[in-house]
Amino acid sequence: MDDLETVLARLAATRVCGYHPDSPAAAEPTALVALALLAHGRDSAAQRHVDRLLALRGPDGSVGIERAEEKPGWPTGLAVLAWRAAQKSSIFDVAYVSAIDHALGWILETQGTLPEHVDFQGRDTTVRGWPWAAGTYSWVEPTAMNLLALKHFRYAAHSRAREAVLLLVNRLLDRGGCNYGNTVVFGQTLRPHLQPTGICLLALAGEEDTTGRIGRSVDYLNRELSENTASASLSYGLLGLAAHGAYPRRAGDWLQAAAHRTLARDPSSYKLALLALSALGSECPLISRVQCLKPQDAAGREPT
Amino acid sequence: MTTPAISPPQAPQELKTDRRALLIGAAAALAGVAVVPFVRRMTHDRASVFVARNQRYDGPLERTIRDGLVATGLDPAELRGRRVLLKPNLVEPIRSCPQMTTHPAVVVAAAEVFRGWGAEVTVGEGPGHMRDTELALDESGLQDALDRVKLPFADLNYSELGWIKNAGRASSLAGFHFPRQVVEADLIVSMPKMKTHHWVGYTGALKNLYGVIPGIKYGWPKNVLHYAGIPESIFDINASLPRTVAIVDGIVAMEGDGPIMGSAKPMGLLVIGTNNTAVDATLGRIMGFEPTRIGYLQLAADRLGPIDESYIDQRGERWQNVASPFRIIDAPQLRGLRAAGVLVT
Repeated sequence: MDDLETVLARLAATRVCGYHPDSPAAAEPTALVALALLAHGRDSAAQRHVDRLLALRGPDGSVGIERAEEKPGWPTGLAVLAWRAAQKSSIFDVAYVSAIDHALGWILETQGTLPEHVDFQGRDTTVRGWPWAAGTYSWVEPTAMNLLALKHFRYAAHSRAREAVLLLVNRLLDRGGCNYGNTVVFGQTLRPHLQPTGICLLALAGEEDTTGRIGRSVDYLNRELSENTASASLSYGLLGLAAHGAYPRRAGDWLQAAAHRTLARDPSSYKLALLALSALGSECPLISRVQCLKPQDAAGREPT
Repeated sequence: MTTPAISPPQAPQELKTDRRALLIGAAAALAGVAVVPFVRRMTHDRASVFVARNQRYDGPLERTIRDGLVATGLDPAELRGRRVLLKPNLVEPIRSCPQMTTHPAVVVAAAEVFRGWGAEVTVGEGPGHMRDTELALDESGLQDALDRVKLPFADLNYSELGWIKNAGRASSLAGFHFPRQVVEADLIVSMPKMKTHHWVGYTGALKNLYGVIPGIKYGWPKNVLHYAGIPESIFDINASLPRTVAIVDGIVAMEGDGPIMGSAKPMGLLVIGTNNTAVDATLGRIMGFEPTRIGYLQLAADRLGPIDESYIDQRGERWQNVASPFRIIDAPQLRGLRAAGVLVT
């Protein structure tokens, strides 16, 4: 990606990490910017963002969506990953360690509600992951983000992590890919989307899959990603492929095209951070190295 | 596709008011912005709905929209210098299914009408099923259209938030976290696609305003609202918003398994009005539904506007002349919603 240095310089100069250039600071972009800067060796530039995440914590250890919004706490998993990266860098601070412990406790205690089973929906309604907002169902992206956090902290074998894998594999469409978290409704298979598929595959790195859906999801991303794909979807899609050893040879060209568009049109720190992380391919620190665990719920059931 | 409230409604724990959000609302109010929503009690009030037929995306849409808004009571002089937010439906755009989303030509035409009246126009949407709004704008073709006419876009999923008390109270939600652009708008233009909806029958001007609710707070999909009850939250959102009007894209509509997986149904219609409840009641009649059997219209009837035909003045085409029953899926929740004698698929 030719513009990588420009992207990193922009990120290093960023003070407010938002979803768009004029958006308020938010936890998810802040965590991603911190991760990107740390992964590219810009430790000192990352520090203010890592510390800002500390300030976004609620009393229960979760990280709210932005400064004034303590809830919902769905960005907590990403914040944990940013603190972890900081902990392994030159900006190590003991405050990150206690923040991680507290946040992981919140993640392990938080879960989505279980919908009643209905015949017209294809998903397994008996497994729990994580919701966007408390008191609602589990969905793909928050489940994947929190699963990623658990896997990076040796909780890969924890029952919550195993159940999350079960849920994510269940939410993959038979033909590959997933959307926000529904599969078949009233007999119709829904359409897959790029970004949730990428995040889902990222979280499912190294997982055993007897259904074949992970492989077909890799195929789906390989078919659909291109130089024209929007930045966030492209970035997560490429990270999903990298997590399964399928990072495309042309990824650099696609990222360059996306970076060029983003810098010209909507140079948000959120998108630039994702592009910078994705440019690392299989070296991206978001990719877990845990290998081949079995997805199952507390009762020992495997994916359906 | 949306997920309904299958379990009994319960108050989500995370929708509490915070001090900063209240401050935003208070500041806007001090600035003279119409942030204090109200339930428009219109028990005996009439409303007008304009139906235009033979419309095409490459036709003179501006003229139709201008005529329709004026014919249904909008005073252009009131809009000079006002903030107008156009809210199309971009729930989950994909190029291969243009019947799912509001056509860019209709959005641009509406923007030009309001700009011509001296309003400050922004297009805003918070796609309900996709977090990547850039992708939604690309797939719907809206980004190209916005660039062409230099229209600003507000990503309502990630905007600064304000908190507004729930003026409807049909659900247990105490209030709503609305994006700043919604709180500050003088007029919100609901621009839905004319579509069937496999949970509530059909979706029009009222349901389309689910899209002003920010995903960052309510999720993708906006599951908090499903828990609160879909008809109830549709009613509550509309009761709590600033002034709204509707321009419905029914040129190529969607029937069957809407609002996502349905098939195209060319209708050639634009349906326009200054009362969204009356617009939706008329839309339902055109599509072969009985409005009095639609949950959110039952709640809205005579509180947000009339659904009784005798209280709706028709402008342009009579709905009876353009009615064409939409196919719907054969599902229990939809069986009782049709006018008599209409087949289901």
